[in-house]
Amino acid sequence: MPTAQPYTYSDGDERSYVPHPLLSFLQSQSQNTLTRLYQKPSSCLSIFRLLAPLERQIIMNLLWLESAIAASTMAAWVTREGKKLYDEALTILSRLNILPNSAVKLALNATFKSAFRQAITGGGSFGVPAEKDDRHDKRQPVELEALDGFALERWETILHYMVSSGTGVLFLLQRSGLMASLHNSALQITSAGFQFLLHSPHDQLWDLLLQYLHLAEERQMDLVEVLGFIFMLSTMELGREYSTENLSGTQKAMLEDLRDYGLIWQRKPSSRRFSPTRLATTLTSSSPPLPTSTGTSSGPQEGFIILETNYRVYAYTDNPLQTAVLNLFVTLKYRFPNLVVGSITRDSVKKALSNGITADQIISYLVTHAHPQMRRNVIFKNPLLPVTVQDQIRLWELERNRLKSQEGYLYTAFASQADYEFVLNYAKELGVVLWENPTKRCFFGSLEGHANIKGFIERRTQAGSS
Amino acid sequence: MDNHFGSHLSVVVDLSPAQWHRAAADRDSPLAVDAFVSQLLAFLNAHIALKHENSLAVFAAFPGKSVMLYASTDPPDRPTPIDPNSYPPFKRLDSTVTARITAQLAADIHPEEPSALVGAITKALCCLSCSSRHCESNLLFLPDINRLSLGHDEASDPRILVLSVSPDLATSYIPIMNSIFSAQKLKITIDACQIFGPDTVFLQQAAHLTGGSYLYLDRRDALLQYLIMSFLPPPPIRKVLAVPTQDRIDFRAACFCHKNIVDIGSCAQSAYPSSASPCPSVPPVEQSSPSKHYSVSMLPVRRPAPQHQTVAGEYTPVSSSSEWDPGHQRI
Repeated sequence: MPTAQPYTYSDGDERSYVPHPLLSFLQSQSQNTLTRLYQKPSSCLSIFRLLAPLERQIIMNLLWLESAIAASTMAAWVTREGKKLYDEALTILSRLNILPNSAVKLALNATFKSAFRQAITGGGSFGVPAEKDDRHDKRQPVELEALDGFALERWETILHYMVSSGTGVLFLLQRSGLMASLHNSALQITSAGFQFLLHSPHDQLWDLLLQYLHLAEERQMDLVEVLGFIFMLSTMELGREYSTENLSGTQKAMLEDLRDYGLIWQRKPSSRRFSPTRLATTLTSSSPPLPTSTGTSSGPQEGFIILETNYRVYAYTDNPLQTAVLNLFVTLKYRFPNLVVGSITRDSVKKALSNGITADQIISYLVTHAHPQMRRNVIFKNPLLPVTVQDQIRLWELERNRLKSQEGYLYTAFASQADYEFVLNYAKELGVVLWENPTKRCFFGSLEGHANIKGFIERRTQAGSS
Repeated sequence: MDNHFGSHLSVVVDLSPAQWHRAAADRDSPLAVDAFVSQLLAFLNAHIALKHENSLAVFAAFPGKSVMLYASTDPPDRPTPIDPNSYPPFKRLDSTVTARITAQLAADIHPEEPSALVGAITKALCCLSCSSRHCESNLLFLPDINRLSLGHDEASDPRILVLSVSPDLATSYIPIMNSIFSAQKLKITIDACQIFGPDTVFLQQAAHLTGGSYLYLDRRDALLQYLIMSFLPPPPIRKVLAVPTQDRIDFRAACFCHKNIVDIGSCAQSAYPSSASPCPSVPPVEQSSPSKHYSVSMLPVRRPAPQHQTVAGEYTPVSSSSEWDPGHQRI
């Protein structure tokens, strides 16, 4: 997956800050779970880094105070414009139980405070490194490239599986709603799944980890242990080997899952040491977690797709994942060692649309991965993608939405024109008429209005017959 | 507010042994240098902790020389042994800084020389200038979409924090003003904290002119709290959580010939921007401006050109020197 950033226009505005997905998960946890989680300095540091900048500063301001500080004293530092942001930050911190809500005094959660202080001053558990083993001294230390290659291969396998629809990962993908089995057939990528492909690898990773956490809850795994281990991984150093000796049973069980996701690397499954990969060590940062060009998968970083006005698509890639993604909405024609040629056709787009992928998603995928040559259009004030193609893709989507179905009743066989008009007027007053045809003396009313119209007609026939 | 690039902080620490000795012996609130270093390390760790991408550089001013203590971009000298009980970047920072300070203090120092604070600030500026140029060239390779969305000022907001214990050194007036102008040009904020000794005029001006904040430390036992509340927040946060700013700024400049800080100076037009008085000790000024020559030679009656460039009788108080052209004064 190339690490081109998703197509978002962030203007550096305070409001554009999107809270990290993990935070809402943490907020839903019990106070007891959170307090246990905050006992580990490494967890505190990782959670701290996931917070918004203002929240981080508030925590820092309060960290070294021994006693509680009056809320008004702290509020005196806030500028008039920042009042709203400040209050929001306090609310989030209190929901996370880091800064208990109080109108009078502000003091950090004691557990969090002591553990975080320990982290800053150099303390806490950040993973036990594997001892130098004399027997294995001949072995080469783990190469960074090898680790990156492993992580990339694992991760692309997951993504590739999603798009090509060919086993621990399988369940996770289905649970997260990224894939669904349509009419009891094999699993297929969903709209959410395609949207997922558009995200940056960092967001993708957290999406999957969140699902893993929900899964862990159901599997009766201790959430604190699971989270603690993930956070510890995020503070470890790339290229080091760590020992599995001090891990708890739950955490040892997690090793296998995390190896499947490419977060850690082990020489062999029974090995008593493991190395975190770049996916794991950059969990709490926003830097791209994966190197893009290693080994077989040479997806260029800047984008690789050229789209012409005649609907032709040239993709300079030999990456099976990218080819498979393109195959979702492009009819591929030729494949060369470094180039895939195809064209966007009505059928190919309709196929994608029937899988739940929207036209906007297709367009934003093309924009995100556009070749630098295409981006030069922007400099000359032209649109990045040919307008004809964009419009046509949207039109094909509209075409699909031409029919709208609605349940209701057809009223027909009225005895006279006067009868018909009388009932029709009543139905119109109720606002339930969807379609009418005066020459055939019939109209179609929606489901909700049926009881009223039926009653009205019955009353009228009774009145007429009596 | 939160961008993909971390913010950069360069810290310049004044480690003049004589001044620290006085600070430790201070009657009201003593602060020993080792206590200072441990609080400083906690502050530096806090900056690293804020964001994975945050970068840091530490410079120290010793008597007569300035050295770089730590840069987060530098590879470590030797593979640091991993300590299961500390976060590796913190450990690397702490051990590097303490080791280099000890090594510098062990080397021969001439304590009588004044602290090379300006030298350290200049080094910090040079490093920032290099890295910003590097950053810009990197930006060129980003897809245009990304570059557009990043904006220019968002890429990183470099800051320099000066922790000083020495009094103003009038001889360093010109270099310090030059540093301020370079900082302004590079859009770098200079924060200053005077931990011990009298208020410094020059650092006040540096902070004021670059939009930073200047703090005179009253209570030295609360150093860390002061540092975190006033100097840790990057500029975007300062819009929400205000940091102390100065009510009054001492704008006095130093006389160029006597190197004294003066209340009233007189301005010469070309070569000597300010001097204490139009006194005879000011060397005669060569008529350097070609236009002057022209106007003089155009006079119908040739008179001897005035000896002194300073306008007699006109005492212009030097309020702010921000009108200087930094291009004329190179370091």
